[in-house]
Amino acid sequence: MAAAEIRITAEPIDNQRCKFVVSVPVWAGGVRRFTGADEAKGSPLAEAIFAIPGLAVSELIVSGNIITVVKQSPEPWQAVGKPVGSAIRSILTADAPAVTAAPKPASGDGSAVTDDALYERVAKVFDEQVNPMVARHGGRVELIDVQDAVVMLRMGGGCQGCGMADVTLRQGIEGMLAQFVPAVRGIVDITDHTSGANPYFQAAKK
Amino acid sequence: MLPTTTYRTTAFVEAARQIGVELTVASEQASTFAAANPAGLLTLDFKNPQRAADDVQVFARQQPIQGVVGVDDDTAIVAASIAQRLKLKGNPTPAAEAARDKHRQRELLAKAGVPIPRFMLRRLDEDPAAIARSVTFPSVVKPLRLSASRGVMRADSVQGFINAQNRLNAIVCEPEASFLIEEFIPGYEVALEGLVVNRRLHVLAIFDKPDPLDGPFFEETIYVTPSTVPAGLQSSIKDCAERAVRALGITEGPVHAELRYNENGPWLIELAARPIGGRCSAVLRFGDQKVSLEEIILRHALGMALPSLHRERVAAGVMMIPIPGAGTLQDVRGVAEAKTVPLIEDVQITAHPGERLVPFPEGSRYPGFIFARGETPSAVEAALRAAHAKLTFELSS
Repeated sequence: MAAAEIRITAEPIDNQRCKFVVSVPVWAGGVRRFTGADEAKGSPLAEAIFAIPGLAVSELIVSGNIITVVKQSPEPWQAVGKPVGSAIRSILTADAPAVTAAPKPASGDGSAVTDDALYERVAKVFDEQVNPMVARHGGRVELIDVQDAVVMLRMGGGCQGCGMADVTLRQGIEGMLAQFVPAVRGIVDITDHTSGANPYFQAAKK
Repeated sequence: MLPTTTYRTTAFVEAARQIGVELTVASEQASTFAAANPAGLLTLDFKNPQRAADDVQVFARQQPIQGVVGVDDDTAIVAASIAQRLKLKGNPTPAAEAARDKHRQRELLAKAGVPIPRFMLRRLDEDPAAIARSVTFPSVVKPLRLSASRGVMRADSVQGFINAQNRLNAIVCEPEASFLIEEFIPGYEVALEGLVVNRRLHVLAIFDKPDPLDGPFFEETIYVTPSTVPAGLQSSIKDCAERAVRALGITEGPVHAELRYNENGPWLIELAARPIGGRCSAVLRFGDQKVSLEEIILRHALGMALPSLHRERVAAGVMMIPIPGAGTLQDVRGVAEAKTVPLIEDVQITAHPGERLVPFPEGSRYPGFIFARGETPSAVEAALRAAHAKLTFELSS
């Protein structure tokens, strides 16, 4: 694929996290999360992003056409987003797969079991509490995966692109998970909010 | 306090997370999680600041509040009422109200001798032809309480004035409402971003507005900082804003002022007791740690130590993307190309497909923002224009 055919949109979430929405699929195998350069080995995209000098990437999540990068560098995304975009474009134009499947956990690996158990509990909270609430505003929240006790979710309907999506996430869902599934360590929203066609609340003032 | 219509939600929520403070978000419409998180989500009547203060006083008996921040013109008044009631850091309510009400603001500024355009107050149901007889042209008609230059129009003649008043009448839809008629001040316009700490104005940034704002409407486009205005004049601009802050009685918190200058010096056009609007604050970063404006505002409200209030060395700018016409947005092309323009840091399209775009003066919602950073203000401005030229908005009627 030619580099010019790949469009990448950066959506900073805060100074640590930024979503890069790519116009082509990056990883169709569900969600793949990397928490360090060692885990990135074998996945060229992750290797390239963890290797960007000065960025101090601490976490990378790839799902569908969305790449979420978590960094420790204090530099704002506006200043450091371009090398990430270049790395993504460079890897996607190569012939090799950008991301490979996670190695199967060794038998008896406690963390996988824990994530599976967490997934079930988070899914139950989403089904029974979160989604009935956001449905009142025409929204829905999809549980994508739980990895290392971090919940990955995607918002849809009235939540996608909603001006108050961050409030729903931080003051609503995060608090609810803290109460009912306290083992959850964090939440990552992998929604492409720029594509929301029917947000419930929309910014209207300057 | 985050109105559901604000662009500022993410910036403030994430700033609160950054400094690790517990947050209660108040909005004018209930969150669907309000019952699930009563300590973190509150619904207030922003149109009735005293009632909002009553409700917060009750709330604070269970959930003590240490600081209150409004993010726009309306919530600045509510924040002042709450601060006064709970004895928190904030502006006196009359000061916040005066900053919100364009006529009251001008009365106080004129009384204090702050240079402002001559003005008069009239009602929209008065005969425009009769009013026009006492108007000196060119003049500007302004609604008292709309935001973002919505409804602001220049009139150069009697007929132009009649048309403008009729048009404003249709926009405001309140025949008994009052409006301002103001002398048009020719000159170069700048914006001043400041933080008032214990009655003292700290200038955080002065932005140049390189596109002339001469009417007939006053749609803003580019803001670039640092200003290229000579240092002596910048000092006069700061003095003018400081006098305005004192005249209105603003004692604490963010201020955003619009000023013009010409051969007679600076003129105060507007001053608001709130931070810069839209997503424009993303261009402001302070100190070595590149602290955001929102973090500074929250820290100030909470009485926490403030980081450096010196903006970073490099130039920065934002373009509020001009509304491309009237119609329903189908698509925006060229975003990826715009992002590849050197010095461009981001292009954010905030309008969504299917959204109805309404040009000024009836509308005021920009379809997006372009951000750039570089060595010089002129390079930043050129980058913003080059990126904008790559964008194509497809509208259907």
